[in-house]
Amino acid sequence: MDIVTDTLSALWKVLAVGILLGAGLPALYALGLRSMNSGRTVNADGTVSGSTSAAGRAVGLVILAVVIAIALFGIVVIVWGKQIFGA
Amino acid sequence: MEALFILIVVVVVALAFDFTNGFHDTGNAMATSIATGALKPRVAVGISAILNLVGAFLSIQVALTVTNKIIAIQGDNGAPIPSLMGVPILTIVFAGLCGGILWNLATWLFGLPSSSSHALFGGLMGSAIAALGWGGVKWSGVITSIALPAIFAPVVAAIVSAIGTRLVYAITDRLAPESRERGFRWGQIGSASLVSLAHGTGDAQKTMGVITLALIAYGSWTSTDSIPWWVKIACAASIALGTYIGGWRVIRTLGKGLVEIESPQGMAAEAASAAAILTSSHLGLALSTTHVATGSILGTGLGKKGATVRWGVAGRMVVAWLITLPAAGVVGAITWGIAHGLGPNAGTAVVLAILIAASGFMFHRSRKNAIGANNVNSEWEGGLAPAAEPTQPVPAAGTPAKA
Repeated sequence: MDIVTDTLSALWKVLAVGILLGAGLPALYALGLRSMNSGRTVNADGTVSGSTSAAGRAVGLVILAVVIAIALFGIVVIVWGKQIFGA
Repeated sequence: MEALFILIVVVVVALAFDFTNGFHDTGNAMATSIATGALKPRVAVGISAILNLVGAFLSIQVALTVTNKIIAIQGDNGAPIPSLMGVPILTIVFAGLCGGILWNLATWLFGLPSSSSHALFGGLMGSAIAALGWGGVKWSGVITSIALPAIFAPVVAAIVSAIGTRLVYAITDRLAPESRERGFRWGQIGSASLVSLAHGTGDAQKTMGVITLALIAYGSWTSTDSIPWWVKIACAASIALGTYIGGWRVIRTLGKGLVEIESPQGMAAEAASAAAILTSSHLGLALSTTHVATGSILGTGLGKKGATVRWGVAGRMVVAWLITLPAAGVVGAITWGIAHGLGPNAGTAVVLAILIAASGFMFHRSRKNAIGANNVNSEWEGGLAPAAEPTQPVPAAGTPAKA
């Protein structure tokens, strides 16, 4: 039954990487959005007051750029990883 | 000469399967973006089609291993077993493809997302059992390549997606709802594009492998570790065209039927799908895009407080998944019997005629409650068919029909 345990250990890795990237990247993206909108507050009646800060927007954009870079790097590793790193 | 006739039919039917593979699976990547309005339906399927095309050319793995994992018609190096060269192997592959296509069309008619790979595997298993007996199937491969991944893929994807959804809502809970919705639309488009790309790299390959296997069996190709260039182009074009046609019925079920989705959930779901598909294919574990995407969408309903998951819809999908292998297998076995029984020429022609007639019938049935870009996002009221009366004017594209 080695073949079954191998499959299960691969699935375990998919879950770990999945949580790290699949849940981590959207969370990072959410942080970026939050930073871009920092300074604005939502009032109890649903209206929005205040304005966004330049620093908040800058940090937010950097975070979003990091998310995009990680996603692109992920594609490169997965499509060409075997040629680049050997396997 | 008779082998040449089957070969041509096999190539055409394989490309037809690739086409159904494309339109059946459009929803896996794009259903959430269409449901939240992040992309207009036509734009969404267009982007997905282009990325599937690109993905199909990026795929570098040797595709002959796809069939070799589950049926015993090839040796260790992927080349066909000598005694099956020519007509026998071509007939098995032909019948298997018929099973895969008919199952894909039947599930599409009911708007059920079901794995195209499993449909193909089921068809091939059925025809291999009919031709070679129970030993024609590699059962250990069935467990590791089909059964275990099918059980775990939706669960893994749902866990990842639920965690992502929970995090995303917790982090952005003080954002104005409009800025949140708008901000996540871009994330949604990006993550859905990744899923489309991953789909192209994975699924187009399966058809490339099947056609290459047929060419080797016929004797017009000998290499077991490369694919003729025209096969690559034809498969990439077929899957992209199928994707562009858009399996609106499946898109509707995934985007509107299972869970009502907001754009943060859409991004969490597609990111979870992309991560699971890309990681698993890197590890050489074939997780079905459909199972992953469905699990992710379900997970995003579980992860958001107050969201409802329509378990009845989910239950119907699970039933469809469970009967995919046997159903496609029975069709594969029967078509093999007809094709083999009537001989290579007449049998192949008869089966081809049956395939065309059955496909035409299902297409005709689908017109009775047609679903397209115009009504894919209509309110879900207990079933696939939108509530609009047939006599009412068709709502303009982009505006959902009033209930």
